[in-house]
Amino acid sequence: MQVTDRITGGVLVALGAAAAWFGSRLPAVPGQDIGPAAFPMLIGFGLICCGALIALGVGQSFEAPEPAEPSSAPKPRLGAVGVIIPPALLLFYAYASETLGFLLTAFIMVLVAGLALGSRLSIAIPVAIGGPILVHLAFAKLLRVPLPQGLIPAPW
Amino acid sequence: MEPFLEGLRLVLATDVLIAILASAVYGLVVGSLPGLSATMATALLVPVTFWLSPIAAIATIITASAMAIFSGDIPGALLRIPGTPASAAYTDEAYALTRKGQAELALGAGLWFSAIGGIVGTISLMLLAPALAEIALSFSTYEYFWLALLGLMCATLVARSSPIKAIASMLLGLLIACIGMENPAGTPRFTFGIPDLLGGIEPIPALVGVFAVSEVMRAMAEAEPPKLPRRRFGSILANQWFLTKKYQFQMWRGNFVGIIIGVLPGAGADMAAWVSYAMAKKFSKEPEKFGTGHPEGLVEAGASNNASLASGWVPSLLFGIPGDTITAIAIGVLYMKGLNPGPTLFTERASSMYALYIIFILANIIMIPLGIMMIRAASTVLRAPRSAVMPVILLLCAVGSFATGNNLFAVLLVALFGVLGFVMEKNGYPVAALVLGIVMGSMLEQNFVTSLIKSDGDVLPFFERPVSSFLAALTFSALLWPLLAWIWMRLSRRRSPA
Repeated sequence: MQVTDRITGGVLVALGAAAAWFGSRLPAVPGQDIGPAAFPMLIGFGLICCGALIALGVGQSFEAPEPAEPSSAPKPRLGAVGVIIPPALLLFYAYASETLGFLLTAFIMVLVAGLALGSRLSIAIPVAIGGPILVHLAFAKLLRVPLPQGLIPAPW
Repeated sequence: MEPFLEGLRLVLATDVLIAILASAVYGLVVGSLPGLSATMATALLVPVTFWLSPIAAIATIITASAMAIFSGDIPGALLRIPGTPASAAYTDEAYALTRKGQAELALGAGLWFSAIGGIVGTISLMLLAPALAEIALSFSTYEYFWLALLGLMCATLVARSSPIKAIASMLLGLLIACIGMENPAGTPRFTFGIPDLLGGIEPIPALVGVFAVSEVMRAMAEAEPPKLPRRRFGSILANQWFLTKKYQFQMWRGNFVGIIIGVLPGAGADMAAWVSYAMAKKFSKEPEKFGTGHPEGLVEAGASNNASLASGWVPSLLFGIPGDTITAIAIGVLYMKGLNPGPTLFTERASSMYALYIIFILANIIMIPLGIMMIRAASTVLRAPRSAVMPVILLLCAVGSFATGNNLFAVLLVALFGVLGFVMEKNGYPVAALVLGIVMGSMLEQNFVTSLIKSDGDVLPFFERPVSSFLAALTFSALLWPLLAWIWMRLSRRRSPA
């Protein structure tokens, strides 16, 4: 996900402009000069300035070069595509845990993440069973967090 | 004397002692795993603190963060991968010592001088905070505004990053803090019709996302770090007394610089380590030995980062302004437990403050035996396969953020901030500045708007009071510092070829 400074700077300019524009349309407090609009507008203008400077390449001399990856190390199984797996699994947890229940959702989540990281099944499956059970014991039993029961309720 | 004894009694409660011991082990293990930082270790602890007594909750935060900062030195010295950003400054040096066959010296120096730094930092906290509390009682919204802004500006002075990108990150954090209706006017802003956004963005999901989820994402794309060869260590502390005597001056200078940087709002352990390491090299009698396995820099920077950890609590306790990302989390816990930061904390809740000091000292003392055990166990702990650790961390991110409000929306936020943190880090935008922006946004706005209303829209009163003009000067110098550094670099480069 590394893009040029020109793109990130441009995104910041657009974001700043949007913040300033939507900020300026916020309703004012009657009888008060300084309302809820002042702060977002100020930030918006700041972002526009920073974004423009970044797009122009100002300040690059301060950045440390990325350390070169050792080429001999084995590359991960999925390459760059794998980075979307953790956020995707979190979305899965947010939408599925109510129906599937904590233990089943967590099992799927840990198993998929483990396999994506290159784990063997003989390790990934015990971790996917043991991890959620320990987490459930700690959070639901000890800390009384209401984790959803779902299809497979915890036996304790 | 009575508040002190009361504080001692608070700390010696069974639940507090268990909390200290458990969080010490947790901090040591998490801090030693490459990529899992001290901030992340602390952020994942917050849901646990909900169910603890106030003192036990603070004890877990203090102990786990101190241990994790030390323990970050272990993979740094053995694998050349800093466990936490605060160890990054001297990782090469420690690894060079290991390659010379002196791993014990490198790790022992990290442990011994971390503990000393932590204790000296605590003493500075004990002396400075009550003294500053007297002054802070007379602060108005102008001073608070400048303090908050100074904290944010200091957070942008991150080593090895473009200052403009750091400021942009900070502004992005402030913009995120605008979301919701917690602003002086109580108007819903940038909520896009989503009811969950009305309450604003909580710092914990943001912290967990940018520090933990983005790390799991990085693990997906990068090759697994090399396995640690099994080794047996000799005596860890054998030569430390000799080093203490030889580099006594450097140690005190490191402690002192660490304290100063810690007290500055917004600047924390990573900056203390970088500054102290650079200072050790600059003033050393043998600068040519730096980078080849020379303990001098380790002594100074190791003392410095742990000293800053304790003194970083000064602005947090007095003003509610975090010294770094760890104290940003701690402030949230303080509010949650009814210990609202402010100068009156030192008079009204004196026994709790003594308890806090005692916990700091205790944590730094037990760091030595537990740290030695951790170093000896490192060969085993660091062999834990990443493909087994990271999935469980991801699960903890989901459950931990859910537990902060029993709301699944927080899990979505964690995912979103994970992606944001990952993209930002890949493109050179420091995420700590973003987080501090989110944490301090509402405080900055509150004081900014209140001050402007008081002054009828005039900006001059922001500079009229003596303390506020001093703080304003500091803030502007933090803003202009990169520009001066750049001019200095250009001038010295032009001079050198001639």
